[in-house]
Amino acid sequence: MTFNPNLILPEIYQFLVIAALFIQSIGSAKMREKVGLWLPIACALGVVVAVVSVGQQGLVFWKSYQVDHLSQFFKAAIAIGFFVTVLNATRQPTLDKEKTTDYFLFLALSAWGLMILASAVELITMYLALELSSYSLYALVAVRAKSKDAAEAGIKYILFGAVATALALYGFSYILAGMHTTYLAELVKGDWSFAASPMAVTGMALFLAGMFYKLALFPFHFWCPDVYEGASNETAAFIATLPKLGAIVILIRLATMFKPGYDITTMLAVLGALSMTFGNLAALVQTDVKRILGYSSVAHAGYIMIGLVAGTAEGLAAASFYALAYVAMNLTCFWVVSRVAVDGRNLKLKDLDGLHKRAPVLAFSLAVGAFALVGLPPMAGFMGKLFLFSAGWNHGYNWLIIIAGLNTAISIYYYLGLVRHAYTKDAEDDVPLPDTSSFSLVGAGLLSVLVLALGLMPAGVFDLALNAGGSLLP
Amino acid sequence: MSPLMMYQLVALGLLAIGLYGIVWRKSLVGMLISVELMLNGAGLSIVSSAQLTAADSATGQIATLFVMGLAAAEATLVLAIIVVVAKRFKSTETDAVSRLKG
Repeated sequence: MTFNPNLILPEIYQFLVIAALFIQSIGSAKMREKVGLWLPIACALGVVVAVVSVGQQGLVFWKSYQVDHLSQFFKAAIAIGFFVTVLNATRQPTLDKEKTTDYFLFLALSAWGLMILASAVELITMYLALELSSYSLYALVAVRAKSKDAAEAGIKYILFGAVATALALYGFSYILAGMHTTYLAELVKGDWSFAASPMAVTGMALFLAGMFYKLALFPFHFWCPDVYEGASNETAAFIATLPKLGAIVILIRLATMFKPGYDITTMLAVLGALSMTFGNLAALVQTDVKRILGYSSVAHAGYIMIGLVAGTAEGLAAASFYALAYVAMNLTCFWVVSRVAVDGRNLKLKDLDGLHKRAPVLAFSLAVGAFALVGLPPMAGFMGKLFLFSAGWNHGYNWLIIIAGLNTAISIYYYLGLVRHAYTKDAEDDVPLPDTSSFSLVGAGLLSVLVLALGLMPAGVFDLALNAGGSLLP
Repeated sequence: MSPLMMYQLVALGLLAIGLYGIVWRKSLVGMLISVELMLNGAGLSIVSSAQLTAADSATGQIATLFVMGLAAAEATLVLAIIVVVAKRFKSTETDAVSRLKG
């Protein structure tokens, strides 16, 4: 086997970052307390490496690892998201000092697992990559110092995650029994209607459950608000964004097998509709900002299903684009949440009161993030929804798009609730002031610009996504 | 009944026991044991699927070895988090460890 290391440059680079963090984490106690400046700089370089690698193509590791437009698009998105979450986590009030390096080591490992997941085209490889990224996250949730909620969230996340994994493995065994292969390239050739191969389709539905858990799609969403609330703000920023990218890339690869009208495609559409409806209705009554964002991500997992059931390259591209937009919007919101909660506490809605006076830039960024999550123009969320709805229309699932439209209307209420608290109410005096250092403001500004840019000039990114989607479908 | 069917039924039995345990067990360690039952049932199911059908039997065996290895790693992680829970809650009963709701 000839092997070209250029093909997996982002993974190699990320591995070197992990190795450096590992060496530091077994150093003296003093070394372990601070990662300093080198990690953000290394992550910024990682973004450059991943962006340069867009356009690489090849099939390595005995046909189990596909480097194509789709994988490189998602690897670049993961590298950017990792860079932002590392910057966001540099100042963590609720983390024991001696655990700092371990924390970033697990964060980097999880991102590495997701990068591998983006390229995996063989079921066992997918399973290993998924577990690599999940185990690191399970460990991170509970490290919030002295918090009972964090311990509870951690044990819930790992136990239910293990159940979802076990179901996925049962599914894997049925696929193996029904289709006799684990390579996607072979599986695509099979007949995936339930009448022709009931065993394999049952297996695929179970295998998808493992991905739904990561994506927090109904009915595998129940961990999501609890874990967001229990984990520290900075950890929640990671859990809310990057693992979804990993789950979506796998769903996109598997969705190439499902044509509209198959039972399994209809199952995806029904779960998507339930997910968006349930997520939005449950979010209406929440008062904790992270719980709102948790239920909002359940709803957004539902929207993404629209792109997957269409069975066209445009649909897959729209799902990829929406995933990227979703990550940008949520990172913006979580950046503001982490900066406002200077002591690392959980924010209630009323903690946002008076933000427009105390930190106008943060208030503006929060408004941009919230409006984008609603899907108002000219933000990224609007373009993402436009692409999804237009790609999904007339492919047999129009009812799903109508439900999504109704849900967008419902969701306006609680997203605007965030903005209303930040802009129209005045703060009480005893609430600690938000972080208004230039680092915090510049970060918030740049993320808002990213969300606006994705909405105003989506063409370049969407073309990349379209390449990615088109490369999968003949 | 074909041999494949019998193995799959045993594996499904393990899944059912595991799910029952996850739902009804009141202690976190009991839930961990239930999860392990399910994972090992999955391993049995994978090996039999690969061995008794036209699929490559080596694939199934390797997959099951990975499942066993990762299940062991997962058990370690769960026990570590249970220790954290026990320190912070002074209990590992599920009734005590349920503050997050809504």
